[in-house]
Amino acid sequence: MLGKLALAGIKNRRRDYLVLLAGLTMSAAIFYMFANLATNQAFLKANAAVSSANVIFGFGAVLLILITVVYIMYANSFLLSMRQHDYGLFMMLGATRKRVGELVFLETLILGTVATAIGIALGLLMSKFLVGFLLNMLGLHLSHLTAFYLPAIIATAVLYVGLFILASLFNLVKLTRTTVLKLLHSDELANQPKVKPFRQLVQGILGIVFLGIGYWALAAIKALQLLAIPVALVTITIGTYLLFRATILMVIRALRHTSWAKKHLNGFLLGQLNFRVHNYTRVLTIVSLLFAMALGAITVGSGYHRQLPMMAQKVGTYTVAVHNPTARQHKLIGQLHVAYQATYTQKRQGKTVYYNAAELQKQPVELRSYTNSGNLNDQKLYTESLQKFKKSGTNDLDFLSLALGKVGAYTPKILSAKQFTQQSGKVVTVTTIRVKNLQQDLVPLKKLNQLETARYSQPGSMTVGNYQNYEMMLAFFGGLEFIGYFLGIAFLAMLASCLMFKILSGAPGDKRHYRMLYKVGVRQSLMRHGIAKEIGILFLIPGIMGVIDVLFGLQMFKPLMAAPMSPYLGIGSTFLIFIGLYAIYYLITLALYWRIVLPQAPND
Amino acid sequence: MTTNTVVSVSGLEKTYGKANERQYTALKGLDFTVDAGEFVGIMGASGSGKTTLLNMLSTLDTPTKGDVVVNGHDVTKMRGNQLADFRAQEVGFIFQDFNLLESLTAEENIGLPLALKGTPSKVMDQAIHEVAETLSIADLLQKYPAELSGGQQQRVAAARAIVHHPAILMGDEPTGALDSTSARELLDLLTTINTQQQMSVLLVTHDPFSASFCQRILFIKDGQIGSELRRGSQDRSAFYQGILNELGTFNE
Repeated sequence: MLGKLALAGIKNRRRDYLVLLAGLTMSAAIFYMFANLATNQAFLKANAAVSSANVIFGFGAVLLILITVVYIMYANSFLLSMRQHDYGLFMMLGATRKRVGELVFLETLILGTVATAIGIALGLLMSKFLVGFLLNMLGLHLSHLTAFYLPAIIATAVLYVGLFILASLFNLVKLTRTTVLKLLHSDELANQPKVKPFRQLVQGILGIVFLGIGYWALAAIKALQLLAIPVALVTITIGTYLLFRATILMVIRALRHTSWAKKHLNGFLLGQLNFRVHNYTRVLTIVSLLFAMALGAITVGSGYHRQLPMMAQKVGTYTVAVHNPTARQHKLIGQLHVAYQATYTQKRQGKTVYYNAAELQKQPVELRSYTNSGNLNDQKLYTESLQKFKKSGTNDLDFLSLALGKVGAYTPKILSAKQFTQQSGKVVTVTTIRVKNLQQDLVPLKKLNQLETARYSQPGSMTVGNYQNYEMMLAFFGGLEFIGYFLGIAFLAMLASCLMFKILSGAPGDKRHYRMLYKVGVRQSLMRHGIAKEIGILFLIPGIMGVIDVLFGLQMFKPLMAAPMSPYLGIGSTFLIFIGLYAIYYLITLALYWRIVLPQAPND
Repeated sequence: MTTNTVVSVSGLEKTYGKANERQYTALKGLDFTVDAGEFVGIMGASGSGKTTLLNMLSTLDTPTKGDVVVNGHDVTKMRGNQLADFRAQEVGFIFQDFNLLESLTAEENIGLPLALKGTPSKVMDQAIHEVAETLSIADLLQKYPAELSGGQQQRVAAARAIVHHPAILMGDEPTGALDSTSARELLDLLTTINTQQQMSVLLVTHDPFSASFCQRILFIKDGQIGSELRRGSQDRSAFYQGILNELGTFNE
């Protein structure tokens, strides 16, 4: 009977349960996707060109587990906040604590198990399609990547079901310890946090000092090595927490005494925030850190994505060299945005390749000035007279690469036009093209290069033109790039859900407040705006802190992204996209909150 | 002024349930008026339709049939924001469970109706302090509802209900959650407000003691007005006896 009642209770709130289930499912799916990558040793070995990738994955796994724990905690408190009243009612009707306890335990566990099962299935699908899609978009190929990986399934299932058993036990203990009356009137009592100016001042200063140490540690990663990361994590966490505690309440208090607070619902908004922010300090701290990590990971990932072509373009002169272009290759060349193009006729005989001086005169070969500074930005492209080129330019590696045989480069010789016509040998024309922007032409270049390498084999250790150079770098840094994007998206999804459930778990209690406001005659639109502001601020605080963390945190990647790359280059667009995704979470939370909290006007 | 009607109800009906379901009619054609400055009580047993009536008057619910005119506004014709604005400006409410916002201080709770109107903060401060003096809660303004006793909370709620000088003050069992001393204090205050500020008061209650503070009492039974009792020149205790007698025969 009680089971039936409980089921009916769930039915009545099926939309809220759907939200909860969807959130948990997503979380399990993301975790599976991550575990699939992190536990797949073959994949790691094949792709971890950068030795730190392993460390990054390990770190990511620990963080993701921590987030998952926090996430399930909040999702569970959301569940409990929805059910408390019903459970109280059952007990009042005479159900024994033991019986209700069983019910709670089963309900939580069933919900969790279902969510985990669907989540793993979804994770499999997502691994198959989403990861493929992401790799495609980034133009990467990672070997040994499979969607179905049993150890990852086991890891996900064990972690989630384990956590849900813990959550069920927690609910059981909590419910059996609370009195029936408290359950029935579970609306939270407002505890007004006390403000102690001196203590808060100390907290604020300490907070800033800790943050300072954390940011310094990130910048000094060269000196501190791997130690920088844990040091920064701990100090920034403590610093953010203290700073939030010290400042947010003070600001709200100060605002409450202004005349702005006495307009419309502003006073109510501040009052709500005043006692919410105190409870939320921990969540806001965690979320701001996760926000920073997610944004940082995506920024670094996209930094590599955008800057690798740039970097590749700074090495060597031409982008591609095409020998005896076919019709198809001509068509592809037509699609390129050409900055400099030259076509030379070669005559290859023995180990020598002959060039026509007249052609070289007409289309001088571009050279790159290498300086000692090591800064690639100082190195300019130039051309020189034929005389000079004959003396030194023929040793240029890029020029030598225009005629590669099975064993290596042919020795170039420049003949006058007359001698050249008399010279015998195999005639090959070669077209060198330098594009304006490598990034822009990646698609035709890729095809062009495929066609070229299919026709002419070259020694494996050599690259011709900076497009091939780019492909080599991509193989090297691509893993890092992918990890960056993947971790970023995973963290974002988790952190925003954490915040969402924490906020939503307060909604049932808030319902009463809005009912009161409705009775007193507050317009619906005013209540909507008020809620939008309140939740907006709760999303904004960790967002701002997170952005600041990232701006400092990117220092850490300076050694990994040497000039002309820079972790700060072009971060604007990445930030915008990320903030856009974050805003979507805000809107979802807001819509759900509105639905739970706003009183329905009478219909006629 | 004295003969102006503040509330005029005619042919009011309320039926719950859809047309094809089993229907229940809570109000079956009510007619009555409340004059400006009157202190009217509405009595009836549980389920008699008292609360339904008050919900209609305060626009929290819409009638199935009939008209409700409050201070010249036909509330049955209003929609959405008009309804909210009407509640905010024309009516003051006192509820059984106080309905104070716990996250706001007493002062902020009282100021809410004025803040909704966009009153300048200086005018607001003055109005709050005036009404706080009247209800002798001036020293409680900085406290939160959780720090106040039930009686104090209800006085804060009363202050919130009258701070913006509404056309009518409606109370839904305002003494229901109070001890007898606090209840008497609150009723005395309501009487003071009624006489000093000439504010109309409509009190819904099933408690004869509370009702004895009114000038006129409407008895509702099964969705209809059964009888009416006027205090006239009687003193309160005599009127109280009168009410008890009426109730004794009314429910038979």
